Amino acid sequence: MLRVTLAARLALIGLVGFIVVVTVLMGIFYRTTLQENELTRPSPARLDALATLLEGTVGDARQAVLDAVSSPQFMARIVPSGAPVDGETPERQRQLRETYAAGLAGRPVEIVSPPDHRASRLFPRLARLMANAIEFRIGLRSGDLLVIDAYTRLPVTQFGLPVGFGAGLFGSIVALLALLVMQRETRPLARLAAAVDRVDLSADPPPLPDARRSAPEIRAVIAAFNRLQGRLAEMLRARMTLVGGIAHDVRTFATRLRLRVEHIPDDAERQRAVADIDDMIRLLDDALLSTRAGAGGLSQEMVELAALVAVEVNDRHAQGAAVDLVTDERARDVVVLGDRLALRRVFANIIDNALAYGHAAHVRTALKDGAVVVSIGDEGPGIPADQRQTVLEPFHRLEKSRNRATGGAGLGLAVVRSLVEAHGGTIEIGAAPGGGTRVSVTLPVFQPV
Amino acid sequence: MNAQAATILMVEDDPEISRLVADFMRREGFEVACVADGKAMDSMLQRLRPDLVILDLMLPGEDGLSICRRLRADDAIPILMLTAKSDEIDRVVGLEMGADDYLTKPFGPRELLARVRAILRRASGTPPKPLVRRFAFDRFVIDLDARSVETTGAETPELQLTSAEFDLLGCFVQRPRRVLTRDQILDWTRGRSAEPFDRTVDMLISRLRRKLDGASPGSNLITTVRNGGYLFTATVKQVS
Repeated sequence: MLRVTLAARLALIGLVGFIVVVTVLMGIFYRTTLQENELTRPSPARLDALATLLEGTVGDARQAVLDAVSSPQFMARIVPSGAPVDGETPERQRQLRETYAAGLAGRPVEIVSPPDHRASRLFPRLARLMANAIEFRIGLRSGDLLVIDAYTRLPVTQFGLPVGFGAGLFGSIVALLALLVMQRETRPLARLAAAVDRVDLSADPPPLPDARRSAPEIRAVIAAFNRLQGRLAEMLRARMTLVGGIAHDVRTFATRLRLRVEHIPDDAERQRAVADIDDMIRLLDDALLSTRAGAGGLSQEMVELAALVAVEVNDRHAQGAAVDLVTDERARDVVVLGDRLALRRVFANIIDNALAYGHAAHVRTALKDGAVVVSIGDEGPGIPADQRQTVLEPFHRLEKSRNRATGGAGLGLAVVRSLVEAHGGTIEIGAAPGGGTRVSVTLPVFQPV
Repeated sequence: MNAQAATILMVEDDPEISRLVADFMRREGFEVACVADGKAMDSMLQRLRPDLVILDLMLPGEDGLSICRRLRADDAIPILMLTAKSDEIDRVVGLEMGADDYLTKPFGPRELLARVRAILRRASGTPPKPLVRRFAFDRFVIDLDARSVETTGAETPELQLTSAEFDLLGCFVQRPRRVLTRDQILDWTRGRSAEPFDRTVDMLISRLRRKLDGASPGSNLITTVRNGGYLFTATVKQVS
């Protein structure tokens, strides 16, 4: 659908209204001028008198009479020979002809629309209509033909302007004023939209400015929005408190449980119980982190990203995992503004995924267009192109079985994405050269001013 | 050294965790006393001199961080911190608090035992150094206890700061390379009762900035972060 701004819509409404006003006024104008046309058209009696006068004169006297009666609106001339042709009159003028024939005491008369000498070559019909010309051809009893061209010119007002111009001007001004008023009325809405975009619920959201001079409806919208904003912020705070409280309590119970499982006599069983508790806490930490990321609750500090990635790689390398790291020389001292713990979770998660599903992790850190790109490639089967986006959704995993042995609860990549996005970065899943998966995380580099 | 006879004071508000840890440590041959908060700890310390304090970070009333700081200022009792939030670890064992080690909840008893033994071994070998609160950054050395700032290699080594400016700088130095919001800065420099005088912080910071920049031109130590707050960009090292 074509998107038209509110202002444009209102402009259109104004334009349409203006056109309606002009049309109505033009209609009225033409109705009245048509009636005037009847009056300005030479009356049959006048033509009869002129014909009689001309029949009684000859030569110079006849020319004098013609000069005396002629005017730009009424041009009379004598054509020495020829007779009016009857029967060619169009239906529209037949009645007019009857009237004149009756008034001219039986003289043959023909009414035609003359070819106008000022007629435009482009719009001959329109020009004729404007001139409102009519030609009478009257057969005189003396055998001559009297030709009268009658014009009704466009009437003008006393200011020298065509009638209707004032109305048009008035309509235009009204439309213009309406446009300006509408523009003024819609401005608070535009401001509201901009303010809604700026809203950051993590801090106490500042209330939107009340547009005191706006329409009550718009002020109501702004007030309602302010209330909604307050409620959202409160809800977010309540959710943070709830998640934080749950996390604390679950951690307390998990600590007790962790201390209690020490009494499990079977070694293997105890190991599994400990692993369960660890997974549970990791899931809880992830949920807490992503909640904080969503609420803007992450801390911001200067993090040497290359060093942070190196620590994650070295930890796994020390445990015998197939992981290697290449850091671009220029990316070595790059600083990112972010939450150290969250960034560690991001890279730990991606590297662990690569190791779990792709048997190896090849980590590359490089600078690209003022951003730092960390890409982690693996040697696994890869992810089909159409599924690359969906693996970033919560609780999605490629293996449909929710088998614990091959991974966590599936919250991983979704949390990773929300954390990366909270840092103003992007995460992309592509193909590694060997056919495996390559996950690239791009983060903006911090430049102190 | 006989670590098996050592006395441990456990400050933890959850009685079950206290009991489980105490049972385990007693089986390992330690003397264990348990208290639930800072107040109880103080009265216990009147009667008992523990060899080590296991301190929970989240406590009702006075929180673990403040207790840790207090213990460190008074005495040289080794401290093992129990934290729930792993993001607090940096601060707990870092410049500010001076805890000897930490454990993240949930922890296993064997892990706890290993940490406790390691701390006791270290403590018995060399008496723990009193917590020095002298830090070096850029061309400056700040001593939080003597309340002085010196500029190395300058004609007038002593940097003259007002009390408020010193507190502000101290706040930055103890939390370097971390974005601090105005509210946080107010919290840490003026205590909890501070009213939100945003402008005061801004003015104070611009004055401090001018003084630091005057003593070390072009250092640009305090950066304003878009809609975040302020960031102390220097690397801070503890010095003796």
